[in-house]
Amino acid sequence: MAKYSRREFLRMGGAVAAGLGLGPSVVPGLAQGLQRIFERQRNVLWLQGMSCTGCSISLLNSDEPGPLEIVTQMMSMVFHSNLSAAQGKLAMEIIDKLIAEGKYYLVLEGAIAPKMPESCLLGGRPLTDILPTALQNAELILAAGSCAAFGGIPGAEGNPTGAMGLQEYMESKGMQTKGRLVNCPGCPVHPHTLVAVLAHAAGIGYPKVDPDLLTPDMICKHSVHDDCPRFHYWQKEVFAENFGDEGCLFKLGCLGPLSHSNCPQRQWNGGVNWCIRAGAPCIACTSKDFSKKRSFPFYRKGEQYHAVDYKEQDRGGKRK
Amino acid sequence: MSTTIAVSPVTRIEGHLAVHTETEEVDTGDTPIYRITEARCEGEMFRGLEQILRGRDPLDAQQITQRVCGVCPISHGIASVRAQEQAYGIKPSRNGRLLQNLIQGANYLQSHVLHFYHLAALDFVDVTAVLGYGGTDPTLKTVKAWVEGALARKEVFPAAPFLPRYECDYIKSADRNVTLVGHYVKALDLRRRCHEMAAVFGARLPHSTALIPGGCTQTPTLERVLAYTSRLKEVLSFIESTYIPDLIEAAAEFPQYFEIGGGYGNFLCYGVFDLDDSGNKFHRPGVVLDGKWEPLDVKQITEEVKHSSYVDIGARYPGEGDTQPQAGKPGAYSWIKAPRYKGQPMEVGALARIMVNYKAGDGGWVKKEVDGFCSSLNLSVDKLVSVLGRHVARGLESVWLAKQCFKWLEEIEVDTPATTDFTIPESGSGVGLTEAPRGALGHWLSIKDHHISNYQCVVPTTWNCSPRDAQGKPGPVEKALEGIEIKDPAQPIEMGRLVRSFDPCIACAVH
Repeated sequence: MAKYSRREFLRMGGAVAAGLGLGPSVVPGLAQGLQRIFERQRNVLWLQGMSCTGCSISLLNSDEPGPLEIVTQMMSMVFHSNLSAAQGKLAMEIIDKLIAEGKYYLVLEGAIAPKMPESCLLGGRPLTDILPTALQNAELILAAGSCAAFGGIPGAEGNPTGAMGLQEYMESKGMQTKGRLVNCPGCPVHPHTLVAVLAHAAGIGYPKVDPDLLTPDMICKHSVHDDCPRFHYWQKEVFAENFGDEGCLFKLGCLGPLSHSNCPQRQWNGGVNWCIRAGAPCIACTSKDFSKKRSFPFYRKGEQYHAVDYKEQDRGGKRK
Repeated sequence: MSTTIAVSPVTRIEGHLAVHTETEEVDTGDTPIYRITEARCEGEMFRGLEQILRGRDPLDAQQITQRVCGVCPISHGIASVRAQEQAYGIKPSRNGRLLQNLIQGANYLQSHVLHFYHLAALDFVDVTAVLGYGGTDPTLKTVKAWVEGALARKEVFPAAPFLPRYECDYIKSADRNVTLVGHYVKALDLRRRCHEMAAVFGARLPHSTALIPGGCTQTPTLERVLAYTSRLKEVLSFIESTYIPDLIEAAAEFPQYFEIGGGYGNFLCYGVFDLDDSGNKFHRPGVVLDGKWEPLDVKQITEEVKHSSYVDIGARYPGEGDTQPQAGKPGAYSWIKAPRYKGQPMEVGALARIMVNYKAGDGGWVKKEVDGFCSSLNLSVDKLVSVLGRHVARGLESVWLAKQCFKWLEEIEVDTPATTDFTIPESGSGVGLTEAPRGALGHWLSIKDHHISNYQCVVPTTWNCSPRDAQGKPGPVEKALEGIEIKDPAQPIEMGRLVRSFDPCIACAVH
């Protein structure tokens, strides 16, 4: 393994902290976390449920640490469907062997449909046959993205599969989630969220989470609205009436008050842009209710024509 | 005697796919080889996004449908905004069209680079060659130290996810392998850069929030244009100086893959990247059927589900289609439907775009470029209809598209909004046709009472990985697998190479 100096760990800790919008006080802790990860690489089993692979692609968009650093230095990605050289029977043997050995971090991307096991197979086997033991033997479980955390779009109203997130699935099986499962919502999950939670768990311990949502406080404490760069427009009641206008995006449908995420600080794709900066209303992709109801559309353009199931204050930003 | 050989699951593609084949033993006088006589592509994951879309506000569609696929979300977003624009009776503004092209173009480049280096290359490259590396490149030294360390510690899974793997006929030259490992790593940065380009105008990737009917919420400023341009220069330089030479090297190492895996040779292309408001496109639409070009007639498209796990309503035009799951249906072996054009299975993708445009009229600039490339390799153009040809097609397209993106950047009117105003009608319908990196993509939208009343997607891999139809005719990948020869039934690398050449995306195909 390549050796890193304490200075380099401090640099990386600083990069992670800056990416998360955290102050300098956490840098030594994160640096220590990263150092511990690099000294004892955790085995990671990354499974895909009813997913679009967007969260995996998002992980590859990570910078500081970049994807090579993550895969070769930060963890041992024992199996990942998009990256593994192994295929066919050999791939299934790796998965089975790792699950039997235990002591790994399990990352699930995508939702699960226990009522329709045929809707998601891996090597011909229902994922819901593999998951119970995989969850039981995992040291830590990460729900990567809103599908794995809360069911996401596959679990939206009118879905034919009964798709749900990991928390609901584990609780229905009587499995313990507290202290074991971290929900990392987002559609897709932001790569920094995954990196920070992995670093924290391996180096410092299970992160502080919302007691009900199991989302990490270091990412999800404040709403997008709270830290929005257009907040001054909201205060002055200057609202964008059409897409592309200056002003607060609330009347176009912005759900910043309902989305608990630090997007305003870390932005996306190496910090080149993010939704509100681009004039795009936040669609609350980190919210438990993301996309769930037909009568609660992302945008407000149509609300004059059809019944909607919200009042003004429902869009206004209550926690949870 | 027939031997069953399977790759289940097929990794290093998008999504959940299994391939099962029947083979016959071929006596070679030495060790026997196994020739595929029939194949089945099994799509193993279903979400039901088409049902979820019903009853929703039509504007939700470009967000929901981007989640069909995290690798090509932009193409779904574009298909959806095209369908909506038709239903709303609008066209994108000039800037809107340009920004949509630039966002989609950047995602094409991301997808092609990802596919060649990160999904397909490990079928050809021997990663363990880095153990013998004696040079000074810091990245390669890191990779070498990592593999050495993992092996020395006798980890249970050393150097995962690159090992274990099938042990077979990888590239032999150690230097060549080491160089390609370096390019694998470099390509990780490059594909990330492509997503940064897409985010410059699209807000973020995957799943752009800035993409809307009529254009894009991001107003292009000089700062935005420069942010895109500087990254595009870096990407084009990589494509020309690394990606294309690597393709040529691969062709020299594995020339036999120009000879196999052609399949039906029927191609479909919807056309993509609007060059103006009057329907001229960068890649023109069309069809190649039985070797002959013909214009695209959308009404000839039907979907069948005899061998798919849905309630059978016969062959239907997608606009009148339906998706009712029937898990465990007798005779069904896939969640993928079977789309057909004039009743025929069609291949879609970069190769299809190239073959359709090559055979259209005088072939235009595509013919010139392809002829030039093929003659430099001393290759006849028909050899492109093969495993390697599909890789070459993606590479050539990447060069052309990256160059075209510079032209679109020049056409932008800075500080002018990229939007077009619209209202959502009480009722209407629209068909959004575009090309995803993986091929022809169509969204069919119907609106009633200001809500979506029906939404059907026919997706590239639905075409390519389709199961048999009602006539029992295999899908394009199934057909292309027939005749492929496998040396070691326990390590059927040849199947993986063939299937991956189509760049399958199963979340897309089923949705």
